[in-house]
Amino acid sequence: MTAQNHAIATPSAQGALPGQERYVAPIEETPLKEVDSVDESQPARSMWSEAWRTLRRNPLFIVSAVLIVLVLLVAIFPSLFTKGNPNYCDLENSLNPSSPSHPFGYDLQGCDVYTRTIYGTRASLSVGVLTTILVVIIGGLIGAVAGYFGGWVDAVLSRITDIFYAIPLLLGAIVVLQMFRTSTSIWKVVFVLALFGWVSVARITRSSVMEAKNLEFNTASEALGLSRGRNLFKHVIPNSLAPVIVVATTSLGTYIVSEATLSFLGIGLPTTVVSWGGDISAAQNLLRVAPTVLFWPSLALAITVLAFIMMGDAVRDALDPKSRSL
Amino acid sequence: MGKYVLRRILQMIPVVLGTTLLIYALVFALPGDPVKAMFGEKPVNDAVAAQIRSEYNLDKPFIVQYLLFLKNALTLNFGNTFAGRPVIDVIAGAFPVTIKLALMAFVFEGLFGVIFGIISGLKKGTWYDSVILIVSLLLISVPTFVTGFVGQYLFGVKWQILPVTAGRNPGFLDLLMPACVLGSVSMAYIIRLTRTEVASNKTADYVRTARAKGMSNRAVTMRHILRNSLIPVVTYLGADLGSLMGGAMITERIFNIQGIGNTLWQAILRGEGTLTVSIVTLLVLVFVVCNLIVDLLYAVLDPRIRYE
Repeated sequence: MTAQNHAIATPSAQGALPGQERYVAPIEETPLKEVDSVDESQPARSMWSEAWRTLRRNPLFIVSAVLIVLVLLVAIFPSLFTKGNPNYCDLENSLNPSSPSHPFGYDLQGCDVYTRTIYGTRASLSVGVLTTILVVIIGGLIGAVAGYFGGWVDAVLSRITDIFYAIPLLLGAIVVLQMFRTSTSIWKVVFVLALFGWVSVARITRSSVMEAKNLEFNTASEALGLSRGRNLFKHVIPNSLAPVIVVATTSLGTYIVSEATLSFLGIGLPTTVVSWGGDISAAQNLLRVAPTVLFWPSLALAITVLAFIMMGDAVRDALDPKSRSL
Repeated sequence: MGKYVLRRILQMIPVVLGTTLLIYALVFALPGDPVKAMFGEKPVNDAVAAQIRSEYNLDKPFIVQYLLFLKNALTLNFGNTFAGRPVIDVIAGAFPVTIKLALMAFVFEGLFGVIFGIISGLKKGTWYDSVILIVSLLLISVPTFVTGFVGQYLFGVKWQILPVTAGRNPGFLDLLMPACVLGSVSMAYIIRLTRTEVASNKTADYVRTARAKGMSNRAVTMRHILRNSLIPVVTYLGADLGSLMGGAMITERIFNIQGIGNTLWQAILRGEGTLTVSIVTLLVLVFVVCNLIVDLLYAVLDPRIRYE
């Protein structure tokens, strides 16, 4: 079919007066873009598999995933990475510079800095991971219940959230932990960080549950007779998980930093536990003499935190392309 | 608007009451005898202990203690420290230094955070955007105390440009490095926030309309992109002023600044409940008031927000 056929139509067929010509624009021949076509033979992809596809192609995700896997490996199997014993220290080696078998040198007590940095991974990572799990459980539950049931339940829970929100994480943790100064443990640090950390997750969950609850498919499933409780777990929570996952990933890094800060103040992990925060704290007085002793555990800490923050960024980009990052 | 302000202030009251109760409970209801802490290693005479207990209301039930504390706090009478100095004097002596430090940190993070954020957002994808982004990520992942030590070592010891520590009555130069260290993490967050805001507003419909109408590039950037991008930044900054005061504890310890953070740390170490509770309550109040101001500011800045 040529353009000529389109342009000049027979007047009689168009119902126009004799002598008049009507111009009819040619059909645009541009083919549909590949993006617009839908392959209907394949089952529809869920939001999660769509997100996973985006995530896999993001270099930020690949870098952070590799780092996180590496850090996890070091935390679980520290003996794979070093043959030394972190608690074997010989004052004869005090502040000795690095050598091929001891790449990071020795600290004041004559302990191998490399070995201590490797073994310190477990403590820092455990605090980060355990706190995040606890925070997501507490904050997620409170936020979901408040957002879903609304009314007086929401009013009460929101006021409680406001009260905890008014106390900054580190300040609250310091006030509580100083009482256990003589008997700290990983679990105490985790509980205290979770006690003041759940608020941000609760707030995010509440708003995202409130948004998800008003979507049409919820009205539909409720109309079809699904009970409110079942609806909450079957539809509302899965659909409001995305922002919670993002916040949790990024917060994990924050908790590791908080633990290090508390250990630096001497009220975090006990000195018997090998941790980055404790080692950095011990190295602070050596800054002028031997800056490398402070450098290596700080670097390990920074890389770990960086990995989780980058992972949070990548996950957010994948789950919600429109979202705003902080 | 007036109604909205009043309602927000009224809503603040239960929050402040709840928060102070929580802090009070945490400090006083947990294990540890304050009277014993007061005497340290020295043996305690029972009669003296009993007298101190009644003086500090420690012999009364917990809730009565809290109510008495509230009553006294309303008249700014926070009691005495173990050394016998009125708590309010200690706070009045230390607070101005911290306010000075926090304000300097605030100006630092606001100024540089917004400038770098705008550059980064407008030039998204270029090499200086990447550099700014990487530096801001690094600042977030390195704990403040490490940044503090490194700054102290480089500027104070190695190059000797700035004083290593600040003594009593610190001046501008003494507080310059501590303020930058204190504000560094928030600055990094502000860079990231400004960057995403600018980058997303750059492609907004109203910006395209403005350009289509022939507005100059400069005017579009200043009047449309920046104004809209800075609303969330202003609110972040406002809320951060409150947390800077709390975060000052670490910075003040590193640089030996005799501010409220250091005083609080000393109080905690000595187990001085009254002083601890008073300072924490004060810091929380500052934080809550800052958040209230931010909420009100948000309503003023963004006409789309309705005050219901």
